[in-house]
Amino acid sequence: MSRTQRTAQDVFVSLLANRQRAFLMMLGLAVGVAVLSAVIVMGQGTRARVMGLVRVHNLDMVMVRAGGDEQIFAPTADRGLASLFEADARAIEAEIPNIQLVSVVQNKRDINLAFEDRATTTRAFGVDPSWTDIRYRDLAEGEPLTSEDMASMARVALLGFDVARRLFPEGGAVGRTIRVENDPYVVKGVFTEVGTATAADVENFDDRLVVPFTTSSRRLFNRPYLEQIVMRVVDTGAIVETSERVRALLRVRHNIGQGEPDDFFVREPEDVVGAALETPRTMFALMGGISFVALIAGGLVIMNLMLIAVAQRSREIGLRRALGARASDITRQFLFEALFVALLGGLAGVVLGVAVASGLAAAGIGNIQITWVPFAAALAACTVIGLAFGVYPARKAARIDPATTLRGRAA
Amino acid sequence: MIDVTELSKSFRRGNLVTEVLKGVTFRVRSGEFVAIMGPSGSGKSTLLNILGLLDRPDSGRYLLDGQDYSQADDEARSAARNRKIGFVFQQFHLLDRASALRNVTLPLLYTDKDPGNGTARAERALEAVGLSHRTRYLPSELSGGEQQRVAIARALINDPPLILADEATGNLDERSGAEILDIFRRIVDEGRTLVLITHDREVAKRADRILSFGDGRMLGDEVILPRAPGAIAAATGAAPPA
Repeated sequence: MSRTQRTAQDVFVSLLANRQRAFLMMLGLAVGVAVLSAVIVMGQGTRARVMGLVRVHNLDMVMVRAGGDEQIFAPTADRGLASLFEADARAIEAEIPNIQLVSVVQNKRDINLAFEDRATTTRAFGVDPSWTDIRYRDLAEGEPLTSEDMASMARVALLGFDVARRLFPEGGAVGRTIRVENDPYVVKGVFTEVGTATAADVENFDDRLVVPFTTSSRRLFNRPYLEQIVMRVVDTGAIVETSERVRALLRVRHNIGQGEPDDFFVREPEDVVGAALETPRTMFALMGGISFVALIAGGLVIMNLMLIAVAQRSREIGLRRALGARASDITRQFLFEALFVALLGGLAGVVLGVAVASGLAAAGIGNIQITWVPFAAALAACTVIGLAFGVYPARKAARIDPATTLRGRAA
Repeated sequence: MIDVTELSKSFRRGNLVTEVLKGVTFRVRSGEFVAIMGPSGSGKSTLLNILGLLDRPDSGRYLLDGQDYSQADDEARSAARNRKIGFVFQQFHLLDRASALRNVTLPLLYTDKDPGNGTARAERALEAVGLSHRTRYLPSELSGGEQQRVAIARALINDPPLILADEATGNLDERSGAEILDIFRRIVDEGRTLVLITHDREVAKRADRILSFGDGRMLGDEVILPRAPGAIAAATGAAPPA
């Protein structure tokens, strides 16, 4: 072992032999780290819960529907509702800030599907590849649509969970060729089951066929106009402002004069995300501040106890110097001691903090998400604190003059 | 082994300057057992600190094992303390919470090279002082004489040529003190040099030679027991007291 390793090992054995002192030293820091890690675990939990709500309710999505106040699910050209086109979607993507994903949507009911001797009908959607992300739809198996599928107007399809079950009761849909309105389409993927939230839900999200927009507009539906444009915003706090900009852009693009009604309809969710995060955010900021103060206090406790220890152990320091320790060996010894105690306190604190937060969550207070983050934060904080507050006592220890300490008459 | 020429040291407290060593010159040959005697305040502790490389002289020269350490840096002095000198103190200076074995291994922390199996070496050192049955004991579980024997094992573990003992029997009863002095004699017989500081003439008489100090000067150099031709030569060749 190197000299430094031997010193580290010696410090470790010393701390084990002086457990009470080590315990008192790490106590303050453990409390600080406990608060810190509880804050992190609960903050992440709250965030995860809100993000879950965002996914389920699509709280970060703005939707533009064709047709003005007369809302109809399936507009037709001869009713004058063919108001929304792909160019509108590309313009939104290019010109409106705070938008990360945009997808066109066109759909048609009662599309005939068949595989071997099984047949069914469903509602087909023609979309951009980004649609799957915007609507938070996950694939149970297979691959999502790609820009190559779009470019080649590929006859490929993603199946809703129910559709896949109807055509392939034994599974194994991916890679098989089905008939869509008598044309062959390769099944690229199958969506996970969404289920209907309530019996009153009019739409069954599992009863779907999804194809590339180019395929639907040029082959399957053979029409250019859209039912919807959907988009995901970056900052949900600005979602109302963003949808206002979308509305203004579309009015200009559609040459709608002042006082005339829109020929489209913009719908955005309320900003529930900001509201859901605001109260916990304040609380967590407060607790974070408390934990910072506690960490500094913990560091000061370590420093004070170490200064006392250095004074009490001046004979030990003198002895070690007599046995061949350099001043730098003594510095290293006390730095290691501070570091070990801080890390030990940090570990105890993380376990305590996570346990308390878990207990609260189990009792129905708050949400938690346990990740590596609090452990990494504790490691970083304790390393910094151990070294920062250990340096001064360690230097003081190294400056002790061995000649004056070894002849003490007190036993 | 030890060659000291015109060594001076003074301490300053406020405006008051105390001259503790006023030009001390003597030599100790390899394999000698020398007692340094003198009343408190005679400068013998300061001399021991300088001989042990724990303190530096203000002026004069100190050769240890042929090398001049008077103005060496901390690293060289620490390395020499570790390899060349074994200390035995009046207060034993054992770590309270450490077993006899761990106390003995302590100097191995500060060797430059990997010391190898320190436990085995410490066990042998404890065996040499008759404590192989006490390796796991804490200092508080040992008698004073046993504690001092642990300290001697610690002083010997790096096999240094020089042992410096500071009132090593001062805290012990007569029987334990005699045991320690017997061990010292054995150490010298093995070829080591031993310098023992004491104010007790009966203890000093166990050495080969007594250097008497008073008021910062060497007052006498007396051969007790001419054991070897080297000792006689050292005694006769030593510089007369200033």
